[in-house]
Amino acid sequence: MKELDVRGLSCPMPLMRAKEALADSPGEMLVRADSGTAKANVVALLADEGYAVVVDHSGEEYLITATLA
Amino acid sequence: MRKRRVIGPTAAVLGGAGLFIGAVAAWLVSRGNPGNMGLCIACFLRDIAGFFAGSVTNQAAVAYIRPEIIGIVLGAMGAAVATREFRPRGGSAPLVRFALGFAFMSAALIFLGCTVRAWLRLGGGDLTAMWGILGIVAGVLVGIVFLKRGFSLGRAAAVAKPLGWVLPALTGLLLVFALMAAFGTKPGFATLTPEDGRAVVPGEVVVKPDGDTLVVVKPEGATIVGGAVIAQDGSVLADAEAVAATKPMPGGRRAALAVSLLAGLAIGVVAQRTRFCSIGGIRDAILVNRYDLLFGVVGLLVGATVVNLLLGQYLLGFAGQPVAHNDAFGSFAAMGVATFSAMLLGGCPFRQVVMGAEGDSDSAVAVGGMLVGAGFTHWAGLASSPAGLAPNAWLALGVMLVLLVAVAVLGSRKTA
Repeated sequence: MKELDVRGLSCPMPLMRAKEALADSPGEMLVRADSGTAKANVVALLADEGYAVVVDHSGEEYLITATLA
Repeated sequence: MRKRRVIGPTAAVLGGAGLFIGAVAAWLVSRGNPGNMGLCIACFLRDIAGFFAGSVTNQAAVAYIRPEIIGIVLGAMGAAVATREFRPRGGSAPLVRFALGFAFMSAALIFLGCTVRAWLRLGGGDLTAMWGILGIVAGVLVGIVFLKRGFSLGRAAAVAKPLGWVLPALTGLLLVFALMAAFGTKPGFATLTPEDGRAVVPGEVVVKPDGDTLVVVKPEGATIVGGAVIAQDGSVLADAEAVAATKPMPGGRRAALAVSLLAGLAIGVVAQRTRFCSIGGIRDAILVNRYDLLFGVVGLLVGATVVNLLLGQYLLGFAGQPVAHNDAFGSFAAMGVATFSAMLLGGCPFRQVVMGAEGDSDSAVAVGGMLVGAGFTHWAGLASSPAGLAPNAWLALGVMLVLLVAVAVLGSRKTA
């Protein structure tokens, strides 16, 4: 599973990093984010790229798991 | 082959948010706010700076605690807390962010509005705002060059909890001062532009309406006789023609406190939930080929235009626009510099206020830079007037551009 850490990054870097990571169409990806904005932007991007997305916000951070549908 | 969308469901959410904010902003003008200034983060922070430091910074005409800002911070904070998005964080080059906030504000006051007001001005029919919007596009393009080179101010991290509450707490204090001023007990050091006050001779002779007549606010002892302002010693300070020709100062144009506060609260909640940004839409469209955020500013423009037309306050043209000048290149350059600065900050001033309300202490520091920058810009006589740019405005823009390029070049490295 491809992993990406966008914690602490200002806009638009979470989106840029996520877009880069998607270049080779990974089947599964885990993104760690720590702001609602980064989470929302990454989730929207992943959904638009055809991924099924699950967000875990049980802790302090967001764990975004994306699976290519 | 996986299916790709460049416009997702959040486009409708952001478009709706823009429509709402634009409509409320235009409505606030009808309730008393300055023309095409129902909402302006730069102008409103500047007015707040004027309340506290106006006597030093020559801000008698623009000194008032704008309740919209209080509302936005408290609304965004409440929304963030309710959705568990409030998170004290910071440590991403706060001093640089202070300077970027400062530069943003200086440039915005040369344009006469922030990246939100640029769209609201256009939504009021002010075609001079187009030069500013072209400047926004230019600033975004320059920022993108450095983002592609790896520009970053570094990662923020979780910080001690009290740091995240600095902006909301100071906003609570601001509410106390606003209420004091509203009930006529403003502290002695503060400056407050009289409601609907008109500067007949800036800084010296000020009048304001009292029912159907005018009364003299300044200087003490002067009276209105036959429309003219007469000093205590009988000399004429301003003739009737000069008095009749004056317009209310921007700081004196305001909706009722409760109206502004409630509008701000609603806008704060909407902005926090939707991540509305006045520059991010153009940025994302060009940089990452995503268009959702762009619907935010389009909505803002449409909402403001429609409500301005409905309320009969739409004035199409270049000349005589409220709180605006007609210097095309100056508007373009000032908004270009302001937007470049906002690009390096990672979002427009509206976003900085909202993120500060979500516990982002770096954004709170950027807002602090904007407040200090506003005071400095007026103190140094760099802010524009409807007559045009101040004599040293071009020099100031040049210095800011050099500093911004230096920050962008020095910060262009890959962040781990």
